[in-house]
Amino acid sequence: MITKSQIDDDAAAAPPPSRLAIGPGHALYPLLVAVALIGILFGPVGRQVADDMPESKTHPYFPDHYWPYPILAMAALIALGLLALFGQPLLQTTQSADPRATVIPHPDWYFLSLFQLLKLGPALVTSIVIPTAVVLGLIAWPLIDASLGPRIARRLGWRSWPVPGKNVVTGTLWLLGLGTVALLTLWTLLGPGACIPWFFNGPVCGGL
Amino acid sequence: MDSKLSRSAPRSGRGQGAVVGWLDERFPLVQSVDAELCRRVPNYASAFYRYLGGLALIILFIEFLTGFLLGVYYVPDGAGQPAPAFTSVDYIQHTVYLGWLVRGIHFWGASVLIVVALLHMTFVFWTGGYRAPRELNWMVGVVVFLLILAFSLTGSLLPWDLNAYFARGRELSILSGASVLPGGVSEFLKNLLQGGPIIGPATLLRFYIAHVFLLPAVIAGLMYVHFRLVRRQGPAEPS
Repeated sequence: MITKSQIDDDAAAAPPPSRLAIGPGHALYPLLVAVALIGILFGPVGRQVADDMPESKTHPYFPDHYWPYPILAMAALIALGLLALFGQPLLQTTQSADPRATVIPHPDWYFLSLFQLLKLGPALVTSIVIPTAVVLGLIAWPLIDASLGPRIARRLGWRSWPVPGKNVVTGTLWLLGLGTVALLTLWTLLGPGACIPWFFNGPVCGGL
Repeated sequence: MDSKLSRSAPRSGRGQGAVVGWLDERFPLVQSVDAELCRRVPNYASAFYRYLGGLALIILFIEFLTGFLLGVYYVPDGAGQPAPAFTSVDYIQHTVYLGWLVRGIHFWGASVLIVVALLHMTFVFWTGGYRAPRELNWMVGVVVFLLILAFSLTGSLLPWDLNAYFARGRELSILSGASVLPGGVSEFLKNLLQGGPIIGPATLLRFYIAHVFLLPAVIAGLMYVHFRLVRRQGPAEPS
């Protein structure tokens, strides 16, 4: 038999109503709070484009927009687990560091292009000028694009300066940059046999 | 408004309701959760490449987690032969339960993170996501990418094996501008980066501190700024 005091207790414990399908009384609600907190901790949402769009052109953040994230997390974890399993030969320990030993070092793959670039010109240019220019250029890119872009567009007779995906100048620039890094990396991996004649320091070969 | 799902699904005890009610009296919890989860997102924001930033964050989180687990056993001491740093990695790899898996995930995660971050940058660039008013966020993103590279560089010395030792030696020689910058400047940079004229225990300690304390703190701060700006500005409109 339910007493009046139990009913009063229930009323006091009753959480406020929610617009979500899973309300505060649901066992899974703490999970929703955790999901929402990730966003809430990053501060308020500003005025969004979606606010001015018809409902048919928008969708709710949860679950419609959110659902790929848990799947991506699982996929990433499984993929990394498989890489860890099948990539064990690369992780085997060999010998403790010893300055007296003679070893041909293998830099990490993301530095191979830089190592190859060093062979292609004066050290000052290849090790300081080009990397610094690339980094500064990337950081300042939005400003460069906004100031130089319209001027180039006018000179080319374009009505506007499109985004790189629709812009043959900036799109090509990015692809060339990525392609150069990929090509230099591949060249290093091809080994000392992959030589080409070069104006600076004679023929340049791959390898380390 | 309670839906059919809410009514038919398992209900928690009164405890949860009481906790939510208590919290809600002090902070508009239910309203905040509602506002956050029910907010509308433009349909174009669901393109696959828009999730690459989130994927990078997920991998970064995995790196933090596995890095913490590795840190339980790792000894950042490069003195002696074999050095404790090397033997601790060997211990993680061969003796610790699932140590090989945690180390493997951390190792491969670093490479995958670079690729995913680069892909994210490529798509942001390609779609003009760096344009006003998102210039600052692009700049923060580029610095975060450089920090990810710095994470990889500092982390790859920590196994303290022969390859790590000599490969980082060459990389540090490039970074300090050896034979390019004036002798004094190059020496200063070399001393700053490796804590002495040659790579030794002091270098390992510096790299360890950078990898475990300095870089995580800086990247966490920048990621906060990055995501705060993303939330404030919303997804970039396709042009």
